This record gives sequence, structure tokens and C-alpha cells, in this order.
Amino acid sequence: MTLRACPREKEVRALVLHGQWPEASGAELRAHVDDCRSCGDLVLVMQAFQSARAKSVAAANPASAGVLWWRAQLRRRKAAMDSIGRPILGAQLFALSVTLAIAAVFAVSQARHGFQVLSWFRELPQSLAFHIEDLWSSTLAMPQWGLLLVFGLAAVALLSGVVLYLDRQRQ
Amino acid sequence: MRWESIMENVATGEARLQAELPMDNDAFAGFYERSARPLWAYLARVSGDPSLADDLAQESYVRFLCAARQCDGEVAARRYLFRIATNLLKDHWRRAKSPSIEEIPEELFAVTADSGQFESRALLGPALAAMRPRDRQLLWLAYAEGYSHREIAEVTGLASAGIRLLLFRARRRIARLLRDRMAGDRRAQ
Repeated sequence: MTLRACPREKEVRALVLHGQWPEASGAELRAHVDDCRSCGDLVLVMQAFQSARAKSVAAANPASAGVLWWRAQLRRRKAAMDSIGRPILGAQLFALSVTLAIAAVFAVSQARHGFQVLSWFRELPQSLAFHIEDLWSSTLAMPQWGLLLVFGLAAVALLSGVVLYLDRQRQ
Repeated sequence: MRWESIMENVATGEARLQAELPMDNDAFAGFYERSARPLWAYLARVSGDPSLADDLAQESYVRFLCAARQCDGEVAARRYLFRIATNLLKDHWRRAKSPSIEEIPEELFAVTADSGQFESRALLGPALAAMRPRDRQLLWLAYAEGYSHREIAEVTGLASAGIRLLLFRARRRIARLLRDRMAGDRRAQ
């Protein structure tokens, strides 16, 4: 198939596109379109498409712009949350892998030294921390240690509150 | 860090989210009013399925708003919108488990008796249904929307140089189909 565009196509196309064909065209151009296959095809096809477009545009029943705006906002927010969550997930995975590595190193080192840490656990019930009366009397004997204990407990309580608050906010 | 500063950051993020939108709410409402019907017409005619056109038109606008791409004027925004819609159509056709849009049989895209309700008696509907999907896209963009070859290339993602030949062949074919149908109608009368 040879591609031969008529030099007058542009002129004909503009007239049909603006709905001015054939009223605004001269007799000479109309005679040309009757003779020229390329221009004849153009007029036939363009008129058919313009008519179909007008009918379809009239038949369209578009949804509310507000609903689409709202849907787009929701999608954007979700995408933004996902983009924020990705580095956090990465950091959590990194922290988990570091913890596992440390645990593995610790386990290997303990295995080499015959699990000495187990003896420490066995002696733990006899230690001072498990005898509140002894701990209290020793704390009273050294007030600076008592103050440290109170501050430590207060810090734990405060941090627990903050963690609970942040968790609730996140949910 | 104080809670006030955290909240301020959240508010700034919210403002940034709004600022990244291609247009504000009012501008979008105006743009939508002017472009929704032509976009639906394009999708309905090319797909031959008005309900699919409803879905794809809505999805096109949502993606357009999410794209955070500042278009240079309404003409460019409209072209970008048509490009999104064209890609959605391609994705829809590809989901029919065919490796290429060109290898899908035309019957699959043909306007069915039910879906052709809006122009069963007109000439273009059946002629368009006999064309390949890509040719329908090209023909609609060129002769219904009045896009230039360069604009069609931008919307469809095809090479600008090839558009002319593809369009020429498609136009010749649909003109022949239209003439045949007109002759058939005349004979029937």
C-alpha cells in the first residue's frame, strides 16, 4: 500500500474538525474531495467519528468529581504511609538480624567455655535481689543506692506509659 | 523533640501532600467537568464496553491525581489523562492472557449486541468493531479527538514516525468498511 497524503488534507481536516464542512468550503474544494480518494476517506471517517463522539459524550454519565478526589487522597495517603513504613521495616529487620548474630556469638562462646552462665542462673535464687528484706536493709544503709533505685523505677514506669501511648496512637 | 514540633511536621507533610497534587480541588472539578465525557467516549468506543469504560475512566482520574505530575496547562493534562486511560486499556487486554495486543483475535474486542446499545443502527459501531484495538485507538484519537501524530504518539507510546502509516492504513480500511455498509443499507432500502 502506497502512502500518498493529499496536500489539501490539512485544510479539509480543519473544516470537518470545526464542524464547518461542507458549508464553509468552496465549490472547488468540494469537487476536489469528490475526486480525491484520500480526502474522500478523510471526510467520511471524520464525520463518522465526530458524530459518534457527540453521541457518546451525550450518553456518558460520569461519577462525581468529589468522590474521585477523595479516592485519590486515600490512595496517596496509603502510598505515603507505605513509603514511611518501608525504612522502619528495614530497620526492624536489621535490628533483628544484629540481635540474632549477637545471640549466636554468645551461644558459641558459652559452648566453648562449658556454659558457665548456667551456674550463674543456679546461684541467682541465693542472691541479694531475691531477698527483699536484705535488699531493703542494704538500701537503707546506702541512701544513694536507694535514690538510684527510685529513679530507675520511675524511669521504667514513665517509659512504659510513653510506649503504651505511642502504641495506642499508632493503632 | 516536643509534641508540638511533631504535630507541626505532620501538618507540613499534609500540606506537602496537597501541594504535590497536579491541581487543587476546584481546578480538578473544572477539569473533570470538561474532560470526563470525552474520556468516557474514548474508552467506551475503543473497548466496546460501557461498564468497563466507567471503571477505567474513574481509575484514570485517580491515577492522574496520584501521579503528582505537574502538567503544563489543560491540554497537556488532558493528553496525560488519555495516556493513562490508554495504558489501562492495554493492561486490561493483556490480562486476557495474550502475549501481545496484536495477537488477540478481533472478535474478543468486538462490540456485542448488548454493549452496542448506544449505536447498534449507526454505521461506525459495527465498522469500528471489525478493526483491531490499536487501530481503534489511533482512529479515535485522530478523528474524534483531533490529536496530531505527535500527540497520538505521546498518548499511545508508539513511535511518532510510525503513526502516519498506521493511521493511513486504518483509515483506508475503516472507510472501505463504512462504504460497504452504506452500500448495503442502500440496497436494503
